[in-house]
Amino acid sequence: MRIKLPLLIAALAGVAGSLRAQVPDSQQPAPATAAPAPAAPERAPQSSGGGGGGEDSAGGSKQQGSMLGGDVPIFDPGTEIFTWDGKSWHATDNRLFQARFEKYLNAPEETSAQDTAYQQNISAILEDLAPGNATVAHVDDAFRLLSRAGEYDIDARLCDSIADAVYSAWRAQDNADRLAQADDALEKERTRMEWNANVAATDTLTDEAPSASDKTASQLWIAGQNRKRDLETGQYTTHLAEIMATIKANQAKKELSELDAKIDFQALIVQLFLQRRFQHVLICTRFYRAIFTDGDTSLKVGKDANDLFANTSGMPPTVGTVDSMANEVIRDVREGVQAFQFLLSQNELESASNRLAESFTTGEYLPEIRMLPRTEKRQALKFVQKSDQLLSALEVKDYTLAAQLVDDLSKTATDFDTSKATAAIETAKQISDLHLAKARNAAVSGDKDTLEEELKEATEIWPRNPELAKISGLIFSQSDVQQKALVDLDELLSQHNYREIYNDKMRFIAAAAMYPDRQKQLSDVLGQMESIETSMIQAQEMAKQGDYAGAWETVEKTFQKFPDDSKLNEMRADLTTQAADFVRTIRNAQDLEQKNQIGSSLAWYLKALKIYPSSEFAQDGVQRLTKLVVLPEPES
Amino acid sequence: MPRRASSKTHPVWLVAALLLVAGALACGAYAWMMISDPYRTLTAIDVPTYMENADSLRGNVYKLTGTIDSELAWSPTQGRLFSVLADGSKTDVLPLLIPPELDRVNIQKDQKFYFKIVVGDKGILTASDLKKI
Repeated sequence: MRIKLPLLIAALAGVAGSLRAQVPDSQQPAPATAAPAPAAPERAPQSSGGGGGGEDSAGGSKQQGSMLGGDVPIFDPGTEIFTWDGKSWHATDNRLFQARFEKYLNAPEETSAQDTAYQQNISAILEDLAPGNATVAHVDDAFRLLSRAGEYDIDARLCDSIADAVYSAWRAQDNADRLAQADDALEKERTRMEWNANVAATDTLTDEAPSASDKTASQLWIAGQNRKRDLETGQYTTHLAEIMATIKANQAKKELSELDAKIDFQALIVQLFLQRRFQHVLICTRFYRAIFTDGDTSLKVGKDANDLFANTSGMPPTVGTVDSMANEVIRDVREGVQAFQFLLSQNELESASNRLAESFTTGEYLPEIRMLPRTEKRQALKFVQKSDQLLSALEVKDYTLAAQLVDDLSKTATDFDTSKATAAIETAKQISDLHLAKARNAAVSGDKDTLEEELKEATEIWPRNPELAKISGLIFSQSDVQQKALVDLDELLSQHNYREIYNDKMRFIAAAAMYPDRQKQLSDVLGQMESIETSMIQAQEMAKQGDYAGAWETVEKTFQKFPDDSKLNEMRADLTTQAADFVRTIRNAQDLEQKNQIGSSLAWYLKALKIYPSSEFAQDGVQRLTKLVVLPEPES
Repeated sequence: MPRRASSKTHPVWLVAALLLVAGALACGAYAWMMISDPYRTLTAIDVPTYMENADSLRGNVYKLTGTIDSELAWSPTQGRLFSVLADGSKTDVLPLLIPPELDRVNIQKDQKFYFKIVVGDKGILTASDLKKI
């Protein structure tokens, strides 16, 4: 009830805008006529916010025994949003409506013989009860047709309910003639049903029976014929039983007061109106006028229901008001369907779909809606499905699909407004891309916190952004590269292959950026390698100037610190050849120094100084050994 | 008129006299040199051997003729340590300790000396006497 009632009320209120301009015929059974619009209703909701219905609802809930119970839903025709019990819905943009509308668009047109017969029946009743035509005989005939109309599934036995109300009213008025007529009508209907059942039973026994000698075949044939007969006569016998039950119930009915009968009748009218059974509303109101001829047609309903009709029609609710509103709805739906068909022919699918949705909302059970060809409805269905898909795509932020749908819709429907959807899509895309750009920068600079934050933002805005996958892939591949570089770094460190680390230093610097321990190791290695490179450059310059001894000494000093560097070793070997005399002198000096032959060693160092006066090795050696020969004097 | 006998000196005699004078000068010079080297009786130190393995010469006394290259160190108690460029070489420089007993002799760079030297412990050369050339 919490779901259905707002939907039904939406149908009622959906036509409020047009109905406000109607002047109820009050107690006159004349068709609705146009008149200037009354003042704006006092209770019309100003917004579609969730707080709708606040005061009125509270007031309504305090009314005990109100026909509509507690809160009465409120519909804002300006925004097509209705509010009930603190919640808001868009009249046509909600899942329940969409599902129902889609089901309708896929349903075949109701133009079968049964549907046609039902409509003819309803039309005959309305014709019998039409103003100026409602003689006693016509009323009795209409009453008789009610029972027949109730047979059809589409009627949902509403005609039976009307007949029951009519009979109760006649009973209350103690109208013996009319009761007799009613009983007679029911009796005639019972007779017709009996005849139909007999005919059906007889018609089923047309197949040729097998020979009597074949007992099994005979038994099967009899059983089959029985089943066939039961099926054929079942519908008639069932309805016959119902008619007989109605006759018995009518006989047992207690006499009601006329006021009670009137209120019951009015309640039925309002109920049918809210159910959007507008043809039945017209049948009811016309029966009402035919039965209650005292001129009192004001509806005795609760405050909320009273306000509902008063606010939408601008007049106090009467049977005439409801009658005119029902007529207006029927006319509005008819126009809506005509508009739909015209717009469809112009390929303006958005407007066509909207007009059909509006007409369907209010006139779901009217013949104009039920008989609309499925081929026409299917054209609108495609648009509606894509529109719904677009809404879903925007809701789940799948902007790629949304953009594609907007493109498709704009091609199929010439009147489709792409501006809102396109603006939403483009804005989301741009913001998402902005966050992704920031994430990319953060990834490059190794700022993990910013990277995570920006990726999160970008994902929230556009979860299926293709660029997101690319960036993620890039980051993950960077991560792989980083891990591989770190493994390589560890291996080269363990091998003391600093030259290889130095050659690929950019990769290792980037990889170790987020690992302080490795960063320090790498920094030490690169420091060493820079020393080696510096000394090698210096040596190269000295060698160019012919100072091979100086070049060798420069390389040799670095070699003593970093003996594992292959490139340095290679250069050292070359320079050893170039400065062979000096190198041999220094090495002799060093060897003799190690053997503690200070005199000979010192002589060699002195000789080395003669060869290369700037030799630090020689100077250091002389200085070192001199101190051993001439011991420094202790300071006094 | 009778011819007078010639009084001119024969050139052979002149050449012989010159050779005699030169020989006398050479002998004088040699004799002077021999007389001026006070350690002419000592064996000159074998520099290559010393540089190869000084320990093998330990305790021996040699004569060293050389030029002062530089003063490496000085101690009032231990003396002065000089580097001496051995005579006849351009790169063979030997360290030589001049003990304080020989402080009476002023020693400067590029001066040439005769040194009477002793190969001491660890191959350190110590001068026991010297004479400036």
